[in-house]
Amino acid sequence: MKATFSDIVITGLASISAGGVGTAQMREPVEQGRCMLTPVPDAILGETGHLWGKATAFRAADFIPPLKARKLDRCSLFATVATGMALKDAGVDMAAIPPERVGIALGCGFGGIANSEELLRGYFTKGPEGLVPMLFPNTVPNAAASNASIEYGLKGPNVTQVQRFCSAESAFLMACRFLEEERADIMLTGGADDLNAIMLQGFKSMGQLASHAAGFGEGSGIVVLERREHALRRGAGIRGSVGEIRTIGSLLPGREAEGAAILKGDGKPDIVSLSGSAAELPFLMEGMTDVPRLEVGPLVGRSLAMGGVAMTALLLSLDDGKRALHLAASPEGPFFAIDFFGGPSVQS
Amino acid sequence: MSYRRRGASLRNKKIAITGLGIFCGAGKNRASFTESLLKGRCAIGPVDLFDVSRFPARIAAQVRDFDPLDYFDRKTAGRLMRADQFALIAAREALDMSGVLGHYGPYDIGVSMGAGAAGMYQGELWLGGIVRGEKSHPSLLRGILPDRTATAIAGEFGLCGYQGSITTACSSSATAIGWGAGLIASDRLDACVCGGTDALSLLTYGGFNSLRVIDPEPCSPFSLGRQGISLGEGAAYLVLESEERALSRGAEIHGYILGYAIGGEAYHMTAPEPTGQEAARVIRNALEYSGITSESVGWVNAHGTGTPLNDVVESKAMRLVFGERADSVPLVSTKAITGHCLGAAGAIEIAATVMALNAGIIPQTLNYRDKDPECDLDYCHDGLKVSDAAIALSNSFAFGGNTTSVVIGK
Repeated sequence: MKATFSDIVITGLASISAGGVGTAQMREPVEQGRCMLTPVPDAILGETGHLWGKATAFRAADFIPPLKARKLDRCSLFATVATGMALKDAGVDMAAIPPERVGIALGCGFGGIANSEELLRGYFTKGPEGLVPMLFPNTVPNAAASNASIEYGLKGPNVTQVQRFCSAESAFLMACRFLEEERADIMLTGGADDLNAIMLQGFKSMGQLASHAAGFGEGSGIVVLERREHALRRGAGIRGSVGEIRTIGSLLPGREAEGAAILKGDGKPDIVSLSGSAAELPFLMEGMTDVPRLEVGPLVGRSLAMGGVAMTALLLSLDDGKRALHLAASPEGPFFAIDFFGGPSVQS
Repeated sequence: MSYRRRGASLRNKKIAITGLGIFCGAGKNRASFTESLLKGRCAIGPVDLFDVSRFPARIAAQVRDFDPLDYFDRKTAGRLMRADQFALIAAREALDMSGVLGHYGPYDIGVSMGAGAAGMYQGELWLGGIVRGEKSHPSLLRGILPDRTATAIAGEFGLCGYQGSITTACSSSATAIGWGAGLIASDRLDACVCGGTDALSLLTYGGFNSLRVIDPEPCSPFSLGRQGISLGEGAAYLVLESEERALSRGAEIHGYILGYAIGGEAYHMTAPEPTGQEAARVIRNALEYSGITSESVGWVNAHGTGTPLNDVVESKAMRLVFGERADSVPLVSTKAITGHCLGAAGAIEIAATVMALNAGIIPQTLNYRDKDPECDLDYCHDGLKVSDAAIALSNSFAFGGNTTSVVIGK
C-alpha cells in the first residue's frame, strides 16, 4: 500500500526516553551514538546481564501537579507530558484553535499492562475486595492518548493503534490520512510505551530476553503534523515534510519480492532510520548499504511504539533539503517505509 | 465547514459490504445471529468461563458450548487465544460469503480490526499462577497484546496489504471499519477485512464490577431501574471493497459503509460529556462525511450500554442531531441481545445493523423495566418494528471519550 502525502508538514517535536526529557536532551546521545541503556535490576529478573532503556530522568511532578499525576499510569504520563512539549514546540495555542480541529493518533504497545497487573494482583490476593477501581480506566491502551487529549482539550480524531513494532508508524499513517481528509487541521502523532517488571518477567518466561525483547525502552515521541497551508497561515515554523508512506501487512511466503518492491521508494535517501526489527531484515536496506543509518533502539531502547521516538530523533537530525527514509518492521509484519524531507521547502 | 477537500473519500466512492461473518454469544454464524435479532433472544446468562461467584453481578453473554476443536485442528487451536479463535471463525464466514479471495492480489487486501482485552483471559491464567507461586506456561502470554489477531487473520488468509489494530476500548472495531473503508475509498487497498474481536476476561469482568457498572440482571438499556452493562464476547468481520469493483467481479452487495467520524470528548476518562454535545458533534460529522443529511437516517443502533449516565447522554445527543424528528428515529440497543462485547462491540453492532436493514426491521431493545423520564425517545422496547429504512447509524462510545459513529446503508 502506498500513500503520498505531499503537503503535510512537521511543525513540532517532543521526546521522552532514556536519552532524556526533551528534544535537546535527545540530540546529544543520538549525535554521539551514546548508549543510554542501563542494567535491569537483578531483583526483577533474578539474573544479571540484561539492559533496558528506562527514562530515569523523567519526573512527572516537574510537569503535572501530583494529585493529577496520581490518577495517570506511567504511559499516560509520558504521552501527556510529551504532548504538551510538542504543542509548545509547534507554537500551537489551543485557545486560538477550535479544539475539534486538533487530534491525536498514537501507537501504544504496552500501555495499560502495569495497571492491569496491579488490578489483577489485587483480585488474586484478596478477591473482589482487592480490586482497586481507580486502576481500571487506565488499563486500556488508549489511556495514553485519551489522557493527553483530556489534559489539552484535543477534541479532534482520537485513536490508538497497536501493531507490533510498527504501532507508532501505524498511527502516523492515520494522522496523515485524517489531515488529508481535513478531519483535523493539526494531528499529534507518534507513540508512547512504558517498561515495567511484569513485562520483562513475561519476556523472560517466553525466552525472548535475548531476542525480540532485548534492550526494551520506554518513553514517548510525538510529531506535530499539519497541512502546509494551515501551518503557513498560522505562521508556524516548518521543520520538514512527509512524503510517501509505504506499508505492507506481511510478506507472503513465495512472493516476498513482490512485497519488498512495494516498500521500495524512488531514489536514494540521505539518511535511513531503522526502528523495531528493521535492522534485522537486510532486504529492507537493499541498495542502501552505503547510506548513513540512524538506529535509536540500541541507544535508548526499542518497544512497540518507540517508533515515535525514532522518528523524532530522525527529524531532529535531518538537515534542510535532505531526504530521510524511516523503516520500521516486525518479524511477522507489518513493514513501514516513510519518506521525510528536511526543512520548510516544498519537495517534489 | 468544508470537509474532504483533498483525497478520494467515502463521499465520492461507495464502499460495499460483500461479506459478513459473526460469532458471539447471540449466534455462532450469520443465520443464528439473525434469528436472535429477529426473535429478540437475549444471550445474557450465567458465566462459567471463570469463577464469578464472588462478584455482585454473575452474568454475561458468554459464547457457550464452544469447543475450538470443532473449528480448528488441535495444533492450530493451541496456538490461538480465545479472541483469535472467534476472529478467525467470523473472518472466514465473511470471506466465504464475499468470495473475494483470488480476485485481488494478496498485497491489495488488508486487515483493519479493533480489539480490546484480546488474550487477557490466558494472560490472567499466567499471572494467577505467578501470584500463587506456581509455574505458569509461557504460551499463555502469546496473545496478551491485541495486535496478534490481525496477524493471525492475515496469515491464515494470505492478506498482506495492510495490518492495523485499533485499540480505543469500546469504539475500537467501529473505528477499524470506518478506517478500513477509507483505505479503499482512497484507492490504497482494493479490499479490506474489517471488524473486531474480544473475549471475556477477569480484568474486564472484575474491573467493571469494581466500578459498579454491571447490572446483576440482564442489561436493560434506556429503562428506568437499569444498573449498568452486561458484558459479552465475540467477533464480527466485514469484507469491504468499492462498489464498482465488487459489481465488476459479480459479487453480491449486502450493504454499504457510507461514512464515519471519530472524535475525542476531552472530558473524562470514564464519564461521558453530560450534555451530549460532544457525541452529537461526532454523529453530525459522520453524516457530513457520508454526504447525507439527518433526514435520511431511519434509525440508530445506539451505544446503549444500559449504564444510567450513558443512555441519558446518548438520548440527549439524538435530540441535538435530529431535533424534532428525534421522536421518529428509533434509538435501539442490541447490547441487550449480545452483551457489551467491548473491543468487538462496534463491529457486532454494525453487523447487526446491516442484517436488520436487509431484513427490513428495527431490532427490539430487550429487557424493558420501566419508563425513564430522562430517556424520552422511541427505543423499540415493545418489540421490533418493520421498517423500510435505507440508512442507519451505529454509535460507539469508549473509555477516554473516544467516540465513533458509522453510517450504514443498504
